[in-house]
Amino acid sequence: MHVDWAALGIVAVVSIATSVIFTILLASGIRLISAAKIKSNEGGSGTVTLSLAYVLLGLAGLLVLFGIYLIIPQFH
Amino acid sequence: MTELFVVITVIAVALIFDFTNGFHDSANAMAGPVATGAIRPRTAVILAAFLNLVGACLSTEVAKTISGGFFDDELITVPIILAGLLGAIIWNLMTWLLGLPSSSSHALFGGLIGAVVVGAGIASVHGWVIVSKVLLPAIVAPLVAGVAAAWATRLAYGITRKTPSVHSATGFKHGQAFTASMVALAHGTSDGQKTMGVITLVLIAANLQQPGTGPQLWVIIAAGVAIGLGTYSGGWRIMRTMGKGIVEIETPQGAASGAATSATILASAHLGFGLSTTHVSTGSILGSGVGRGAEVRWSVARRMAFAWLLTLPGAGLVGGLAALLSDQGVVGVVALMVLLAVACLVIYILSRRHKITHANVTDSHEVLVLAAARPATYPDDPRLEAPKPKKAKKPKAKSAA
Repeated sequence: MHVDWAALGIVAVVSIATSVIFTILLASGIRLISAAKIKSNEGGSGTVTLSLAYVLLGLAGLLVLFGIYLIIPQFH
Repeated sequence: MTELFVVITVIAVALIFDFTNGFHDSANAMAGPVATGAIRPRTAVILAAFLNLVGACLSTEVAKTISGGFFDDELITVPIILAGLLGAIIWNLMTWLLGLPSSSSHALFGGLIGAVVVGAGIASVHGWVIVSKVLLPAIVAPLVAGVAAAWATRLAYGITRKTPSVHSATGFKHGQAFTASMVALAHGTSDGQKTMGVITLVLIAANLQQPGTGPQLWVIIAAGVAIGLGTYSGGWRIMRTMGKGIVEIETPQGAASGAATSATILASAHLGFGLSTTHVSTGSILGSGVGRGAEVRWSVARRMAFAWLLTLPGAGLVGGLAALLSDQGVVGVVALMVLLAVACLVIYILSRRHKITHANVTDSHEVLVLAAARPATYPDDPRLEAPKPKKAKKPKAKSAA
């Protein structure tokens, strides 16, 4: 019986790592946007926090784009 | 003439299978967003149907073989394909009636294996392939996706613990919409080509197409439209089980399980260890429930596990019985079509007794088939029988929308 255990291991590691990274980026971005909103409501400037938030969300967006790249066969 | 009739029948049946494939699997992408209210039910199925159609049209490389290595390719004949498709359709419809997610690919393999066993004996089936391609992935998929979703869920809640939920809900809903769309697109590219492969093989077998050529344009469009229509019709019974039945899904949890589902599906499709979309999405939802520390209905999970184990033999049994008729020429084929129509009608009528639509999909967590199978005190409205604490949660899910 042939089972490709190596491929199985890689799939497991990559799946778990990608899910965790995407969630960290998304959740941190959401947290920072919210923090920036609260800051500006209190009269302060939330610009730095907000830009950092968009960088993180942008990275999450890149992951989504990479996923779409993987799905569409014409790209590779 | 006889051959042409059989070929047309098989193509029609293949498209019907594609349709059941669509509505069986629309929950894989959309159960999460529908349950959290990230996307409204109607919008969700329209989006999923469109992405499935696009995905199906994008897939250029069609599987050269549909035997999947379970048996030798030369055993595949047109009657075997017909019987296999029938087994898969009936299994998909029965599991839909019960609201159970099960893998459409496993159903198709099961149907074909059953038909081959009747035609060529049990020795012609490679048993170890069943273990390595069906049993093992069915255990691995929910484990991998479940662990990924559990960790992602813990992190999502941990990071946004102090964030006002008004802010976090919006963000997570956007994230969920993206991951769900990816799952729908990936589903179209992988499952759309299954039907195209079947139709192309039948056309080649009937000498209507050159061997070694790809699917024709009308085949691609027909398969894409069939899977898209199936997805649009919703499969609301399965959507309810996955979105409400296993565990109540909150917004951050939904985003985390969506991320785990798309990551696992893409990793398995591109790194050489194929996993079923159905098993992966179910595993993610289960895992996200565990990660949040929510009350998971393990009885529902157990029922699904039984359905997964029974998919291959169940579809195989129907496929095997169908194989007895499918090589009896026109009479056999006509008889099979009549039986298929009767079976579809019976299942449809049974499903009407407790109808689940886009309007009531998130109202309860139970999919009922026969009122008589339950205590007689149940009123007709399935919404009234949800236990009290679940009822209390309902407005919460609504207000998040």
